[in-house]
Amino acid sequence: MQPRKIKTKVMSVLAPLASATIFLLLWQAASMIVSSQALPSPATVFKEAIRMFSIKIGGNSIWMHVFYSMRRVLIAYFWAGLLGLPLGMYMGWNRTFDKIVKPVFELLRPIPPIAWIPIAILWLGIGESPKIFICFVGSFVIFVLNSYIGMRYVDSLLIDAARAFGASKRQQLFNVAIPASLPSVFAGVQNALSTAWMCVLAAEMVGAREGVGFLILQGMDLNKPAMILVGMALIGLIGAILAVMLRLLEKGLCPWRKELV
Amino acid sequence: MHTAEKPAEHATSPPCVPGGKKLETVREDEAYIRRAARENWISVVSFLLFLLVWELVCRLGIIGPFQLVPPSQVTWVLLDKLVDPNPDGALLQEHILTSLVVALTGFSAAAVIGVPLGLLMGWYRPVNTLVRPLFDAVRPIPPIAWIPIAILWLGIGLWAKAFIIFLAAFVPCVINSFTGIRLTNPVLIRVARIYGASNWETFLKIGVPSSVAMVFTGLKLSLNAAWTTLVAAELLAASQGLGYMIQLGRRLSRPDIIIVGMLTIGFTGALMSLALTAIESRFASSRKLN
Amino acid sequence: MAQRAGVKIQCRGISKSFTAQKDVLHVLEDVSLAVYENEFLVILGPGQGGKTTLLNIIGGLLMPDAGDVLLDGKPIEGPGPDRGIVFQQYALFPWKTVEENVAFALTMAGVQKGERMAAAHHYIDLVGLKGFEKAYPAQLSGGMKQRVGIARAYTANPEILLMDEPFGALDAQTRYAMEKDILSIWQKELRTVVFVTNNIEEAIYLGDRVVVMSAMPGKVKSSYVIDTPRPRNYTDPKFLEIRKMISNDTDLVL
Repeated sequence: MQPRKIKTKVMSVLAPLASATIFLLLWQAASMIVSSQALPSPATVFKEAIRMFSIKIGGNSIWMHVFYSMRRVLIAYFWAGLLGLPLGMYMGWNRTFDKIVKPVFELLRPIPPIAWIPIAILWLGIGESPKIFICFVGSFVIFVLNSYIGMRYVDSLLIDAARAFGASKRQQLFNVAIPASLPSVFAGVQNALSTAWMCVLAAEMVGAREGVGFLILQGMDLNKPAMILVGMALIGLIGAILAVMLRLLEKGLCPWRKELV
Repeated sequence: MHTAEKPAEHATSPPCVPGGKKLETVREDEAYIRRAARENWISVVSFLLFLLVWELVCRLGIIGPFQLVPPSQVTWVLLDKLVDPNPDGALLQEHILTSLVVALTGFSAAAVIGVPLGLLMGWYRPVNTLVRPLFDAVRPIPPIAWIPIAILWLGIGLWAKAFIIFLAAFVPCVINSFTGIRLTNPVLIRVARIYGASNWETFLKIGVPSSVAMVFTGLKLSLNAAWTTLVAAELLAASQGLGYMIQLGRRLSRPDIIIVGMLTIGFTGALMSLALTAIESRFASSRKLN
Repeated sequence: MAQRAGVKIQCRGISKSFTAQKDVLHVLEDVSLAVYENEFLVILGPGQGGKTTLLNIIGGLLMPDAGDVLLDGKPIEGPGPDRGIVFQQYALFPWKTVEENVAFALTMAGVQKGERMAAAHHYIDLVGLKGFEKAYPAQLSGGMKQRVGIARAYTANPEILLMDEPFGALDAQTRYAMEKDILSIWQKELRTVVFVTNNIEEAIYLGDRVVVMSAMPGKVKSSYVIDTPRPRNYTDPKFLEIRKMISNDTDLVL
């Protein structure tokens, strides 16, 4: 089986490389067909990237912009998780509580977080708060929904087993229901982060002087597509890194889920 | 029993009878309705309480009229906007229509191209190899991040919006169709091959039908993405539509318009999702008859 | 093996109905039966005949609409570790290891770690899973999972063991092996066992007594004492005679 293993390993490195190469070639071709003012070639974008990393844009280096965006996301995400996970879980566990909270939640849930931007600005002005608020709203809803579903659809057989062996209500909740709902909760954890990331971009594009959203908007205002593309690549990269980190975290916390390996 | 009603059949739920036939059952429609009403009165009361608190908070001046307006005023503005084009330049229905048209156009284009593409990518290796690099490069970038470059390329207008919405709706369609067809039961494929079906026939008659559920999941996600992205696009650059309406509401310091807009956005989005679910169940049940 | 010892469990006039959306299902109707101390009682009946419901009522997971269940003369009010249950679908906690699953009842009761692990390991050995203490249920086969379920029930140190078609999900060979094993475990550590099944051979092979139940609405039809010495032989003429007698009596389609 050795030669096959080697082949698979080689392929798993070659394939993405080949993909990337094809992509770059297509891009290069496209940039030559369309005017290079509209679509700069990969080389131009690369040079622009180097330039951007060595100067200040709007008074801040790229790292600072990334920092600003990340800070907003993380503060919002942290609070959304802290408040949303217990809320969703309790809604899934306690039917009465669910019925009390449901109507208001169902009213607000279908409203896309971005639609909250105008009222957030009206309430909180133009600064850090409205942006953090929007990210909070977006990720909060996801946290609640996923933990609710996870808890609500815990296999009742497991709860019966817990009861049969003497678990009190409290023990059933903490020892069985919560661990059983973890897979869904983790899906929520990942979704909420990517949602928060999207929200911060939108909020920054509406009105900000720092952040990655601001960066790409600057590119638009200065009519520099290369700048926008660098920003977009940066945004995509950060999003991908965050997703990978979360997946690793999940693998570490849930060693019994062999399907994650 | 305090355990919530769960879908699985276990100690706290009634036994399942094979063949769907119920031995010795008694139909009691009235009792069912009465029970449903009894179980949900809490939600109704809770909602009314919420409205009441909201109303009082505004009327008593705890939150000023430039921040929040009571539900009574929201209702009034809602009805008013159905006939009065002021102050944002169009009736509510016109905003809704504008937004819907753009969103649904982008969504349909994405579905028509994305679903078949995803299915083909999942079935035919060469298609996958060809399209993958482009797709994987586009995928991690949130659709909103495309707005600046779209505006640069296509100006502020319908085309830019349509392009961004298309991108947003495209990705979930492809991914879910891809995953759906990859999960086709290999036993069924083998059976088809034994009966001499070509790859194309197997694709059409086995692969595609078995991925319907996931395709619809993708469509729902896609529609949601399209709708959300549309609102974002309209917030940033539009002269009509629900996103424009709420942005203008902010500029005019009219929270009532903003709230009406937000609720309309939410409601319309939910309605479209329900419509998709209804279509899906119609689809699924007609398949079962076959 | 079954000398007439005292009555351990008394079910009196149990009736139970379920309401599913708009329909009412009468699952059990006026079921009365006695379970004697340390006997291996088998409840035999067709699928959907309410046997599982009856077991769950004895186990305290469900409350009957009418009638009650007495354990040692006292009415049952809810579930508890004094009645250990072995579930047909195993019901193991996937995030816990084998030993954590087996020790569950003791963990709930607040027993110290050293003590409960010792008890758990004893029963893990007894069911033949030595070496698998730190494995996760996902890594085990069906038969092994059910052994964990049995060990878990035993570790709870219950007065009675309730087994709900525990071998129903297993293949034939594993099933035969498990039937032999459960008997040897029962003979080593004597308990009162109520074993539910829809398989006649299994019932006759295992039981001191077989109670036959009808299809829904479940009622007790008859009771058969089986005093053939163990181990029993499926092809023994006496076995087959009993089998014929019971199968004529049941609503089972066999």
